[in-house]
Amino acid sequence: MKRYISYAVILGLVWCFVHGTISFNNFVLGLIFAPFIIRPFKPLYNFKQDFSFGRAIKKIPAQARYFYVLIKEIIKANIIVAKIVLQPKINIKPGIIAVPIRTVTDLGITAIANTITLTPGTLTIDISDDRSVLYVHCIDASDPEAVARSIRNDLERYVLEAFE
Amino acid sequence: MNLIDISLEILSNAFLAIGLIFVFLGMLGLVRLPDVYNRLHTTTKIGTLGAFGVMMSILLKVGFSPIGVKAVTVGLFLLLTSPIAAHMIGRAAHRHGVCLCQESVIDEYEKACALKNKE
Repeated sequence: MKRYISYAVILGLVWCFVHGTISFNNFVLGLIFAPFIIRPFKPLYNFKQDFSFGRAIKKIPAQARYFYVLIKEIIKANIIVAKIVLQPKINIKPGIIAVPIRTVTDLGITAIANTITLTPGTLTIDISDDRSVLYVHCIDASDPEAVARSIRNDLERYVLEAFE
Repeated sequence: MNLIDISLEILSNAFLAIGLIFVFLGMLGLVRLPDVYNRLHTTTKIGTLGAFGVMMSILLKVGFSPIGVKAVTVGLFLLLTSPIAAHMIGRAAHRHGVCLCQESVIDEYEKACALKNKE
């Protein structure tokens, strides 16, 4: 029930944003629609894990910090790729490397994979079957260890704080 | 027209220009870079920021009216979906046997796939 309410609140907010006018009436309308969306797609939502409102609220500062880092990294990534594209002669050493990850939940893995794709010079291709290794295409793979280390120490720390 | 309106107008145009420049660079990268995987780099990363810039420009121009709020929503959905699209395209290309370009130095995914097929 708790999870139903929390998902309904999120979907109500999404409905407000999609509709374009953020008002109490719209939010309530979204709240009423939400169970009809959640019910048929129940396997997609995570109902097994226990859930508490307190923990969800406690994570908000970490998530805000994560989004700040994400936006900073996206801008950096764009400048780096733009530089590569504008070189007169394209000189790159691409390759696919394996990066071990520590996140275990679905949400955490999705977050780290999306973050890797949006950050400089890396693009997630696939995950291994036991969900412990991500295969990352790297635009500069001359030093695979350094790339893996930078992902583990830098990005993954924020993801672990925000979503695990 | 007071000062705030003028500055919002200038900011909006600046965001539009930044977004369009990045979209242009993304398309240039799509043409210039060697293989599928490198091209995905430019289209996902640069496409996201380019589209986001255009959406921000719309928001600054019309304020928090229904159109502006929808623009922000579209930008956030792009931020969420473009990496997933890149992941699916990349994986499909690799499974179809699209080789990495000549300059590539390492492919650990190939090894893992070969190991899995052998079992």
